[in-house]
Amino acid sequence: MSRLEAKKPSFCKSEPLTSERVRATLCVLKGILTSSYGPSGRLKQLHNGLGGCVCTTSQSSALLANLSVTHPILKILTTSMQNHVSCFSDCGLFTAILCCNLIENVQRIGLMPTTVIKLNKHLLSICTSYLQSEFCGCRILVDFSSTQTLLCLVRSIVTSKPACMLTRQEIDHISALILRAFLLTIPENTKDCLILGKSIIVPLKGQRVTDSTVLPGILLEISEVQLMKILPIKKSDTFKVALFCASLSGDLSDTGEGTVVVSSGVSLENAVLDQLLNLGRQLVSDHIDLVICQKVVHPSLKQFLSMHRMIAIDRVGAALMEPLSKVTGTQPIGSLGSISPSSYGSVKDLCTEKFGFKHFLHLIPNEATICSLLLCNRNDTAWDELKLTCQTALHVLQLTIKEPSVLLGGGCTETHLAAYIRHKICNEPESILQDDGCTQTELQLLTEAFCSALESVAGSLEHDGGEILTDMKYGHFWSAQPESPSAVDCPDLLSRCGCGLYTSQEELRWSFLKSTRHPFAPQTCLPHEAVGSANNLTLDCFTAKLSGLQVAVETANLILDLSYIIEDKN
Amino acid sequence: MAAAGSAKVALRVAEVLETIVSCCVGPEGRQVLCTKPTGEVLISRDGGCLLEALHLEHPIARMMVACVSSHLRKTGDGAKTFIIFLCHLLRGLHAVTDKEQDSLISKNIQTHRRHWKNCCQWKFISQALLKFQTQVLDYIMGHYLSKHFLSIFSSSTKERTLCRSSLELLLEAYFCGRVGRNNQNFISQLMCDYFFKCMACESGCEEVFELVDDYFIELNVGVTGLPVSDSRIIAGLVLHRDFSVYCPADGDIRIVIVTETIQPPFSTSGSEFILNSEAQFRTSQFWIMERTKAIMKHLQSQNVKLLLSSVKQPDLVIYYAGLNGISVVECLSSEEVSLIQRVVGLSPFVLPHTSLRYEICNTALMNFCKPLILRSKRYVHLGLIGTCSFIPHCIVLCAPVQGLVEQHKSALHGAFKMLRQLFKDLDLNYMLQASDQNYASSLLTYKNSRESTPLPEIVNGSMQSPYQGTVVENKGKLATTQTYLKIYSNFVVPSIELETHIPRSIPKVTPTDTYQTDETLRYLSLAKTRIVDDSEPFMESNSANSTTENTRIEISYENLQVTEIAGRGSMLAVREKSLEMCTSHGYCFSSIPAGCVLPAGGNFEFLLHYYLLNYAKKCHQSEETMVSVIIANALLGIPKILYKSKKGNYSFPQIYVRTLHAIQTHQPMVSSQTGLESVASKYQLLTSVLQCLTKILTIDLVINIKRQPQEVYDQDSEEEV
Repeated sequence: MSRLEAKKPSFCKSEPLTSERVRATLCVLKGILTSSYGPSGRLKQLHNGLGGCVCTTSQSSALLANLSVTHPILKILTTSMQNHVSCFSDCGLFTAILCCNLIENVQRIGLMPTTVIKLNKHLLSICTSYLQSEFCGCRILVDFSSTQTLLCLVRSIVTSKPACMLTRQEIDHISALILRAFLLTIPENTKDCLILGKSIIVPLKGQRVTDSTVLPGILLEISEVQLMKILPIKKSDTFKVALFCASLSGDLSDTGEGTVVVSSGVSLENAVLDQLLNLGRQLVSDHIDLVICQKVVHPSLKQFLSMHRMIAIDRVGAALMEPLSKVTGTQPIGSLGSISPSSYGSVKDLCTEKFGFKHFLHLIPNEATICSLLLCNRNDTAWDELKLTCQTALHVLQLTIKEPSVLLGGGCTETHLAAYIRHKICNEPESILQDDGCTQTELQLLTEAFCSALESVAGSLEHDGGEILTDMKYGHFWSAQPESPSAVDCPDLLSRCGCGLYTSQEELRWSFLKSTRHPFAPQTCLPHEAVGSANNLTLDCFTAKLSGLQVAVETANLILDLSYIIEDKN
Repeated sequence: MAAAGSAKVALRVAEVLETIVSCCVGPEGRQVLCTKPTGEVLISRDGGCLLEALHLEHPIARMMVACVSSHLRKTGDGAKTFIIFLCHLLRGLHAVTDKEQDSLISKNIQTHRRHWKNCCQWKFISQALLKFQTQVLDYIMGHYLSKHFLSIFSSSTKERTLCRSSLELLLEAYFCGRVGRNNQNFISQLMCDYFFKCMACESGCEEVFELVDDYFIELNVGVTGLPVSDSRIIAGLVLHRDFSVYCPADGDIRIVIVTETIQPPFSTSGSEFILNSEAQFRTSQFWIMERTKAIMKHLQSQNVKLLLSSVKQPDLVIYYAGLNGISVVECLSSEEVSLIQRVVGLSPFVLPHTSLRYEICNTALMNFCKPLILRSKRYVHLGLIGTCSFIPHCIVLCAPVQGLVEQHKSALHGAFKMLRQLFKDLDLNYMLQASDQNYASSLLTYKNSRESTPLPEIVNGSMQSPYQGTVVENKGKLATTQTYLKIYSNFVVPSIELETHIPRSIPKVTPTDTYQTDETLRYLSLAKTRIVDDSEPFMESNSANSTTENTRIEISYENLQVTEIAGRGSMLAVREKSLEMCTSHGYCFSSIPAGCVLPAGGNFEFLLHYYLLNYAKKCHQSEETMVSVIIANALLGIPKILYKSKKGNYSFPQIYVRTLHAIQTHQPMVSSQTGLESVASKYQLLTSVLQCLTKILTIDLVINIKRQPQEVYDQDSEEEV
């Protein structure tokens, strides 16, 4: 019987955004996010007063997952960002900061939400169509004939996670490993569609980062006791593998809904064990070298198998089953009886290896798209951060294969985009004014709010109090050392722009990012030679950033549109 | 609480609800964020959802919410308008009663006042309201408003075809009130595309609405973390789970559905399996294995490539399926199974108990079957070939947060509910006033009109609607019509016999009757029409005949088509159905034909307001006048909110004056909004509100009981107390 209880009435609040408390909490959240942004971002140490390990991070996924927000508006914002991160892995902080900036800026100008939402949507569509257009000045097409661009992309990602605690040399090593691991998952001959394999990250904590390595195939961790049992592996050109998904522990299978009556003196355990040993005999006669089982293998069967010079490994778990069946080319066996010979697989080579203090059985495939990334770092928290970084980088590489472009990073895309929108709105506002019925002033106010939101995302990259500038030709982002004479007067202090594409050698005019300036047309159409010559660019994932931009504006629109909050306090 | 208080309290409650709800009304409406105790965050503009989320405590408020939700279950639309309208009605009533208490001068009112006081005024008003709702409202709808109706079907041909542009306008207006401002156009386009992609043929649209409405959850996939603009329609059906084993296959793909495990169990429920020896156990296990193997082999030999199972299959089955190149999807929900059954007309495969020789007949063909990856989650994507008028398609709804996905889902579902309602005829019946008899007869040209006869006359007509193709098959259509005709004649015969003692009427009845059958048959051959037989009122009049001895039957039949073309939408036209009258009892049967719409933006309210005021002027009874005026004024509450933010030429008073002028001079009405809304749902809303109001007014005391509800049966709760 269900329990009936009178429900408490809900709590209803109007115009939530105008409340001081909401503004204050939004401001705090924004502070946390901006201070973590970029390569020089500050680290956050999250520790739960109720227990659990301490987490040191500057990544959005870890930050947002561990922060507990209570206000519904913040909840919307953070879940939106978390959903974005789980889709694209990258650009979480960018999205969150942009969203906060937009809300803050729009509130400051105090326009009607209706107008704001319509105009925001228009500005967003200008952004997306520009970024996707051919003459876009901040997008680079990826050249797959060399690994240069991809390596830059991976290095930018690894660099932007300071909590991994990597030195310059380690960053280079890890970036190269990630790229190699990714390349190993690409099948050699494909027909019509590309099915990528998988890189399995194998943890090895307490070792030097430079000990990390990539191996083709699968590493199965085995204990030292198991290792002793494994006799020296005889050499042959292929090893036959049987992969079981059914339990080999000798438990009775499901007996149906009725009752089963067993007469006294009849031992079902014996019967099942007989069946298992029969299976073992069949495996012997089929010349199997390696038996892998997802679940438990009965000790007697294990004994029997090792007597016949077979290696038996059990409890590999469901997660490894798919890669294992791919590496060995088998189909997991679900039967204890007659096994069709076609469901056996093989590996090219089999060897035991020791990394650090762990022993592994290494399955080397003939040809497969599975590889193992053995990842080392000094301590747990740094390792966790590095693992997240690697996953992000691998995901970003996959996204880049799908959509072969990258965006300029280091804040240059944001400032360039802001300059483009300002110029466009200043010169041709008619298109928007016509179908929306808003005034020129409203449009200008909102454009300013939108562009400055974008620019302050770029500005959050600078944490050391340096000056942030933009040039008046390309609209790129430049930051100068603090405690020095004003950079506008001494351009020699500026070496390279945020993304590293341009140097200050050229005749450029600079202006402070936060100051007001005349709209100018940033140079569109990236010159091809400029991209080719620069080899140390900071790059961002195109798909993730584009979607992040859209999600940020949509979420901001959503939050600005709220007129009531109804809280169910039951 | 005293009786008089109940209306006052209700007004207070309704005003509070109105302030919350009115911020979400119309295209300018904003969103409301609802949090649930589970931590879920919901974004909504749906009135019903908001009212539920408030968990109101006040008994009258709870009654209102209950009324709203029962209305929503029926129509799926109009919760916000409900509250606003109710609030304005209560306000109007309050003002009227206040005035009557204050003014003491007029003698007329003086008597009225006494009258009101004497016969328990609230009850009186509620009766007047009920009378209005059952009699006056239908009359006004049928007689005055119907002139203005537009239709969603284009009338260029004789057959009923759905006009895409008007459907778009209708959906746009609907989504204006349901989803966030920046997604309105996108979602309504998506819905429109979806509907036209799913519809195999024009005639099957009602079946499509029904199917989509029933299985809406199975027909869409929500994806969070992507911008809304990534939402799309994909052909085929997407199951919310992954393959247990997937074997790529192409060419001739057949599927079977099973509802039990393929591997035979040791014992079935209710039976006992006695194991006497270990050898017996081994042989039975061996048999089970061989049996499973044989069944899977058999399926393969029948070219089955996909096995859909509503239960979890043992490892053995999965293994043999993989060996035989059969993909398996397990643990389908019963809704998914029944959806697939309906779409492809496939019944579950029953395991043969004896031999496996014969062919499996319960298989269906499929175009493709492949995994679909949405946001790193894997789904099963089936290219089913629909056998009914529904071509399977799925909507992938993307949004940054789950709350927004839910909002779009419920809005789309509501839109399908609304369309399903719109495609039904709505019957109106009302009492004809003596004074309006002339009007009615001038509107309708009777074939055998006998106004002058002193005896009451019965006009029986069958409502025949040019209903193109709602019948499932063309062949069956003729048969059903014929049976209908038989039934019809059965009905008529006793009434003829009844009248035989009045010699004059016999020749009258028979010829008209044959005329009618001719007419029906002619219709049948002509325009493939389906005859909607409204036998109930017919029977009613027959039974009435038996009681009144000296009635004369006269059957008149007229299929009137009034076609009016609107100034703006020239493709829209109204098709006034044959009106059926039964004047001997003063009843009039009419209908709002399927697909009737009016331009959105308060047009319905303005029209009804105008005609109600006109009606009130003609009324003789004072309470009827009063009720009509109150309702007419309350109707304006909705356009008032819609035009609240507009200035200048589009402010409410301007619009009001212009619209009334337009109605008076029979010009097309001006409207600042494009878009259409269903007349039937507006009408239903009106009746629901009036019913709710009468309910509120008839309450005279609210008794507060401070005791746990009796259903609570829990020891814990007693300890807490």
